[in-house]
Amino acid sequence: MSIPANLKYTKEHEWVRIEGDTATFGVSDHAQEALGDIVFVELPEIGRTVDAGEAYAVVESIKAVSDVYAPVSGEIIEVNEALEAAPEKVNTEPYGAGWITKVKMSGNADELMSDDEYNTFLEE
Amino acid sequence: MSDLLKTPLFDPHVALGGKIVPFAGYELPVQYKNGALKEYTAVRDGAAGIFDITHMGQVRVQGVDALKFLQYVTTNDVSKLVDGQVQYSALLNEKGTFIDDITTYKISDDAYYLCINAANRHKDVAHLMAESKNFDVTVQDESDATTLLALQGEKAQAALQSLTDIDLESIGYYKFSQGHIAGASGIISRTGYTGEDGFEIYIPNEIAIEVWQALLDKGAVPIGLAARDMLRTEMGYALYGHEISDKVTPVEAKLMWITKLDKGDFIGKSAVETRKADGAKKRLIALKLTQRGIPREHYKVFVDGVESGEVTSGMHSPMAGGVALAYVKPEHATEGDVSIEIRGNHVAAKRTGLPFVRSNVKK
Repeated sequence: MSIPANLKYTKEHEWVRIEGDTATFGVSDHAQEALGDIVFVELPEIGRTVDAGEAYAVVESIKAVSDVYAPVSGEIIEVNEALEAAPEKVNTEPYGAGWITKVKMSGNADELMSDDEYNTFLEE
Repeated sequence: MSDLLKTPLFDPHVALGGKIVPFAGYELPVQYKNGALKEYTAVRDGAAGIFDITHMGQVRVQGVDALKFLQYVTTNDVSKLVDGQVQYSALLNEKGTFIDDITTYKISDDAYYLCINAANRHKDVAHLMAESKNFDVTVQDESDATTLLALQGEKAQAALQSLTDIDLESIGYYKFSQGHIAGASGIISRTGYTGEDGFEIYIPNEIAIEVWQALLDKGAVPIGLAARDMLRTEMGYALYGHEISDKVTPVEAKLMWITKLDKGDFIGKSAVETRKADGAKKRLIALKLTQRGIPREHYKVFVDGVESGEVTSGMHSPMAGGVALAYVKPEHATEGDVSIEIRGNHVAAKRTGLPFVRSNVKK
């Protein structure tokens, strides 16, 4: 199970990469593994504002439909359109080409877990 | 989970990385470690997949009245069967709605074998037992002693042949033979639920692990419930609890082809005749999305902007995209613009024929 050190994590198994006031969202390796083969990603509209904990995207595996929650608040500034044609990237590269959206942060990430904390959380 | 049953293959499923879920009272793998998509591909693209479908039930019907009894309790015309032939059929109640859909195997004039759905097993057996009182037949539930495997895909015959003295080439579509499999007595039929060539294999529990392992050694890929449902939905095959239930008759479910009103009396016949004369209350149709999305069970179907019914089975087909079976109002079965509501959005769909993808069964 891969848990990169430079990211922050939520209890719902999302990750966020913070660079200045831009945050990139995705789902963790654990999440993609639990979901199984992902065959559809519904991306948010650019310009939409989301609150931390709000559902901003939907991923569908063969058997299930799952909401994806925003780790931090902000305005959607970019979406990973490549996932429309290749949703399986969420499975194969959850921290890379499988990223879902980028936001201009309006809140902070103080509540989120570090890689070590997330690893402990997964073990509990 | 303690009251759930395990098949004799439970341990092999776990060893193969099977993700175990409760299904029809059993603990069964929804997928193995490589995931449902790869399993699906193994069956569709020239390999062979092996499925543990032991949860399905088997009932033996024997006696001088066996034919008369089955003509009365099933919808299809059992008199048309020759020895060694299989028939898709159904059990109806007096209201003409489904107790179950089944397959009927004719062994001889006074011996038949029924394959029934796991979730309906006790209901079916109780029904058959009760109805059998007026006939000179015995009804025996053999489910607990029988392991049922399905081996499906282009390489199925090659993988299975070395394990059995039955000449598989001689078994035609919807035909079966009795013989030896790994030294034990069993039944092999050229039937399935995938739209590919292949077999269903009835064996005693004692040799289940041996046969399963031998087929894996021959290159068969283990297939879980998720890929099984993908394969059957692409064919448009009905599944009890989805397309058929005790709420619909064969008139709604497009199953009049297995309901022979001219064969004499049978349970549910007069109700079906009445429904046929009065017209179906809803109709089952096949839909293909023309925009992005995945239709799922219970999603609402709209025709010309008016709510008309709901999806009974829906999926993302790797070959055909978003596809669904759905019930709509009879007047919408062939006319009007169709859309499916997905998370509040109306996603356009068009009516299509079945199967959704090409069938490769060896007819």
